Amino acid sequence: MKKILGIIIIFFVFALCIKGCIKADIPENDTKINLSETKKEFTYPNKNKNVTINGVHYIQSQAPVGKFGGELVISTIGEGPKTFNPCNSKDATSSEMAGLMYDGLVSTHPATGEVMPQLAEAFHIEGNDYYIYLRKGLKWTDGKPITADDVIYTYEEIVFKGLGNPSAMYAMMINGELPKLTKIDNYTVKFTTSKPFAPFLRQLSYPIVPKHYFKPYSDKGASAFDAFLNPNTKPSTIVSNGAFILKEYVAAQRVVFERNPNYYKINLNNEKLPYINKLVFLIIGDTNNQILKFEAKEIDVIDLKGDNVARYKQQEQNSDYAIYNLGASTGTLFVVINLNNRTNKEGKPYINPVKQKWFQNKNFRSAVDYAIDRKNMVQNIAFGVAEPLFTAESLNSIYLNKNIKGHPQNIKLAKELLQKEGFEQKYGRLYDKNGNLVEFDLYTNAGNLEREAIGVMIKQDLEELGIKVNFKPIEFNSLVNKLTKTYDWDMAIMGLTGSPLEPHDGINVWASRGPLHMFNMRDSKDNTDDRLEWEKELDTIFEQGALKLTYSERKPVYDRYQEIIYEENPIIYLYSPTRISAIRKKIKNIFPTRLSGILYNLDEIYIDSGCPVKENTRSGK
Amino acid sequence: MNLTKYITKRILQVIPLLIIVSIISFFIIRLAPIDPLAELRLNPSISEETLQKEIKRLKLDKPIYIQYASWAKSFIKGDLGYTASGEKVSVKLKERIPNTLLLTSVVILLTWLSGIPIGILAAINKGNVFDRTLTVLSSIGMAIPSFFFAILMLMFAVKTGWFPVGGLTSYYYNELSFWGKFIDITKHLVLPVTVLYAISLSGLQRQMRANMLEVLDSDYVKFARAKGLSEFKVIFKHALRNAINPMITLLGFEFAGLLSGAALTEYVFQYPGLGRLILEAVMKSDINLVMASLMMGTVMLITGNLLADILLMLTDPRTRKSQEDV
Repeated sequence: MKKILGIIIIFFVFALCIKGCIKADIPENDTKINLSETKKEFTYPNKNKNVTINGVHYIQSQAPVGKFGGELVISTIGEGPKTFNPCNSKDATSSEMAGLMYDGLVSTHPATGEVMPQLAEAFHIEGNDYYIYLRKGLKWTDGKPITADDVIYTYEEIVFKGLGNPSAMYAMMINGELPKLTKIDNYTVKFTTSKPFAPFLRQLSYPIVPKHYFKPYSDKGASAFDAFLNPNTKPSTIVSNGAFILKEYVAAQRVVFERNPNYYKINLNNEKLPYINKLVFLIIGDTNNQILKFEAKEIDVIDLKGDNVARYKQQEQNSDYAIYNLGASTGTLFVVINLNNRTNKEGKPYINPVKQKWFQNKNFRSAVDYAIDRKNMVQNIAFGVAEPLFTAESLNSIYLNKNIKGHPQNIKLAKELLQKEGFEQKYGRLYDKNGNLVEFDLYTNAGNLEREAIGVMIKQDLEELGIKVNFKPIEFNSLVNKLTKTYDWDMAIMGLTGSPLEPHDGINVWASRGPLHMFNMRDSKDNTDDRLEWEKELDTIFEQGALKLTYSERKPVYDRYQEIIYEENPIIYLYSPTRISAIRKKIKNIFPTRLSGILYNLDEIYIDSGCPVKENTRSGK
Repeated sequence: MNLTKYITKRILQVIPLLIIVSIISFFIIRLAPIDPLAELRLNPSISEETLQKEIKRLKLDKPIYIQYASWAKSFIKGDLGYTASGEKVSVKLKERIPNTLLLTSVVILLTWLSGIPIGILAAINKGNVFDRTLTVLSSIGMAIPSFFFAILMLMFAVKTGWFPVGGLTSYYYNELSFWGKFIDITKHLVLPVTVLYAISLSGLQRQMRANMLEVLDSDYVKFARAKGLSEFKVIFKHALRNAINPMITLLGFEFAGLLSGAALTEYVFQYPGLGRLILEAVMKSDINLVMASLMMGTVMLITGNLLADILLMLTDPRTRKSQEDV
């Protein structure tokens, strides 16, 4: 008896402990937050100016003058950089770090997205000729001057030969032809394209590399070039021209950069930027650890995911960080429908012909679109930290078609659309006009909790129409295999990141032969004779859009493509997550923009903690 | 003489074992529907040609037995090949092995130095408060999953700020003096070592206690006591030497765990060791890296067992005898 009583007491104490923990961790008030509160308006300083001092053509930042010194500790999720060779980076982390070390001829205005001169002092376009005027007096980190020869070398011997990551070469090709490059004098070069090609100018942001340092390796061929500047290269031997110089790489732990004391950007007092002495990237394996590191004050900046925003927002008042709402991100979440009606090598259809009929039917796809409750997803899956999405361009794209307003969930309309096509609802189940039960599989990658939650919600939404959805989360790699190789799937929930600046980048998805034309994939043996009417129109749009050079000419063309997708629904867009970042208040000159995020101007950021910088308080130094 | 013959025989036995292990694991990994290029495939900015180039480089267009043959060929030559992202496998392993060895050897040293005496003490004081407390503690230690314990420790670090959250060195490590560096690493090691130590200690001291109790119960110990030997002599001269034998076999297994035993804890603490590297490699089906680590694990296990057997032969005349009979 005594024993039982003891057990009961222990149980109660344990339960109380757990109750206490729960109460402490989850705020009682509503976790849904009003996003407009976090919106802060910023006016980005005026465009950079060109200033010449002692024969050196500097770029002058118009941001407020700050304090020199200090260090900024940020993080990168994953395994860290795989190479520091800017011509060979295939993943985001490597590109980001190489981008700090090597500048291109042009860059992008962080707020408006227009092309701005960088290593080039100016450029002008005459028909198909692009004249680039380099800044004079600029030096590589080893003291050698940066000249037109380096530019010619970078393009002719690396890009045009497809060394490293050949994607840059294909992006510059117009109908299989590469542009011609002519050296006019030591500081002027001319690119000539075979015909007008709008995305070309942005391609000139490709990093320029030092000929004298790279040539010995590029001469040795592709594999030697791929191994060149691997993460274990001795940092002091690297020759670069960017705002930051590599100081140290420690595998799976961190990458440390130092300011380039000879960088060609100056502040309003004509002092050389960047302000911060040291830029540290901690290599962190997953987001949970990142949150812990931010809370332990080991890192200064963090991107917040939906469920954390409310908690951080509550604590913001009494904390040393500020929260910025950067608006919808370039990420898109969508349901893609398989319109494939071709057969595989053995003559078998990739998907069941009965299902083909449904998926090929425009009204069926629209009915699915109308049945989906995006608002509910935004509120319950993304914790309100997202915006519903109806367009193929992401919400921060400068080419977004603002006339597409979207629509709320409308089950009634969806049912009418289905009825029109002969679908019939019997005993809560939907049958097509031949009496087949409407039932199909919906895939997504297992382990992605957000997509799994979306799947469950879509399953419920479609059940209202009587459609039976078998929701199957499978391993990411198997899903990609289905989408890009075996084509044996019905619908899938996926996400892609688009370019907010250049709609032509979507050609891989929208062109009927594109390698990511998921909703109607053709492999090498298939021809394009069976293109649907609107697929043909998309092909023309992407061909035409690239030929027009000005924004005002291109905008209507790309508006039309978004309309087509919105009407035809081969891909049903769901929502775009909103980017929310927390950054320590001591970090100044922060001008968050929808387009570029928060840390795009690392060379202008400075640290003003109000008290001596960390370094002085550290012991053992 | 006999010993060298025995060792050579054991080493020769390793070869067929390695072949079998490598074939089985290679085929299992390759037959799993994991595509190491999946991420590249879904990246809109990667062109079809880049993908083809990568497929060629990783030999994914060849049948699986040819892939195995080419892997085996270079493995015999001592070349471990390149990872899926194009780095040298040997370089990657070299970066991580010292870190893992540092962590596991500290843990093993601490557990054995304290586990054996604690086990003996518990056996001698069987049934009193000390032993009972230890029983409860070791039950907790054995029951708690390492990753969960690790997460608790991380939360502790965040709340108190006494210890860094994961990693091995601070970013200003290189600017510190020698003692500063030592203190920095120690600070980073405290939490992961605590987790691994608590878990392996509870197992080890239980084992030692059980062995000791068994021996203390045997006839020759009773005889020694009856002979009037002091308790100290009975325990350390007669009982301990027999009780320690099974522990030597365990030590062999510990040797195998030197490189792979801490994977989960390493992952939670973001410790830059082998475990994290290999876990990530398995998830991406990075075949060369996974194969290299599996081969290493096999060799370590076999070496550990061999070392234990040799040690046993040296300490225990009975095993020596049986080996001579074979």
